[in-house]
Amino acid sequence: MPGNFNVDPRSGVPLYTQLIEQVKRSIAVGALLPGERLPTVKQLAVDLTINPNTVARAYRDLERDGVIETSPGRGSFVRDGDLVQTRKTLTDVAAVALEAAVRDARAIGLDKAALQALLARIIERWYPHGDGQ
Amino acid sequence: MNPIVIESLHKRYGAFEAVAGVSFEVPAGSICGLLGPNGSGKSTTFKCMLGLTQPGAGRISIAGGPPRPAMFDEVAFVPERSALYDRFTGADHLEMARRAFRAFDMPRAKALLDLFSLDPKKRIGKLSKGQRTAVGLVLAFAARPRIMVLDEPASGLDPIHQRAVLDLLIEAAAAGCAIVLSSHQIGQVERAADRVVVLKRGRVVLEGDLDELRGREKLVEAVFAAPVDDRRLRDDARIRRFERRGSMVRLYVHADPDGVMRDVGALGPVSLALLDQNLEELFFSAVEEPRPATLEVG
Repeated sequence: MPGNFNVDPRSGVPLYTQLIEQVKRSIAVGALLPGERLPTVKQLAVDLTINPNTVARAYRDLERDGVIETSPGRGSFVRDGDLVQTRKTLTDVAAVALEAAVRDARAIGLDKAALQALLARIIERWYPHGDGQ
Repeated sequence: MNPIVIESLHKRYGAFEAVAGVSFEVPAGSICGLLGPNGSGKSTTFKCMLGLTQPGAGRISIAGGPPRPAMFDEVAFVPERSALYDRFTGADHLEMARRAFRAFDMPRAKALLDLFSLDPKKRIGKLSKGQRTAVGLVLAFAARPRIMVLDEPASGLDPIHQRAVLDLLIEAAAAGCAIVLSSHQIGQVERAADRVVVLKRGRVVLEGDLDELRGREKLVEAVFAAPVDDRRLRDDARIRRFERRGSMVRLYVHADPDGVMRDVGALGPVSLALLDQNLEELFFSAVEEPRPATLEVG
């Protein structure tokens, strides 16, 4: 099976959201390639021991967002994304991680200026040569 | 119409109101977890659904009609204590089920006995409680029903066989079966179920699509350095439950969490967090008694 998806039913995050996130991440990092077939709804539900309706809902949302396409009888496939689509997927994945980090910083009482300074330092450390990698 | 429809169900035993206005529906392919403390009305609801007892009021539709003998072609019921014949073996029970149910799948039943490590030649009277539960499950799943009603289906089973039950439930749902199950094991329900109904003293206190509840129900935790005027928050319709312990305020939010965060943030807390709620946390906040007196400090 392409991509090794895993959801955590104990977290308070909707399972279909978790699944969508993982599919997008797999595509973003190249673990799922354009044209690659995804497991069937039933297969993935059984593999993850989660409700088939949950998987079906994640696939519907992914299809609506243009990430995958489903053809009746053949299954669901990763779409041949253009550059814009791939960029958007990458941004979505990064946004989820950053949201959580900023939320935590706020929860422990860091003010906006301090957080901005901290983020600038971290960005500097990971992007030492300016715009490129 | 959905395979299972319960509308304003009432059932009274003498002065005791066991079920007091329960409504829910289970569509095909859905697994609905019925949760609640002991005595909250789960088993009585099941008994009414199956025609084992006469409801006081309300409407029940199972496979398109009221509880009736013909529905048992499509409905499988696993009670908390399976009604089995102590002097007969597991194989005898399979044979009885084959004669009783048209769709009974004997090869599958034998494979399921194996899955639950059951010896078909052993008399039911010699089995443990968990093994008896397993025999009841084998009979139910081998009948390939369109509707399943399971009362505590994993009670007494070891973790490996509990997992097998989950797998069977997922497969049945994928094949279009409508399933309602009660369980004290929230971990099982939050994995397999896509809907939950939480009962407390015969009433529904929380109900809905589980992923929608996960997305909507949040906990906002704020700590204030100085006392603040929180009266407005206490009457806020978006907040289901309000707790205050010293300088910490906990708000159980069931709508517009971002808006609540903004409003609480405007009161100038020293810390403010938006926390997800898993099913166990949702369950406890839904069935717990309100305890304002012990929580009010300052």
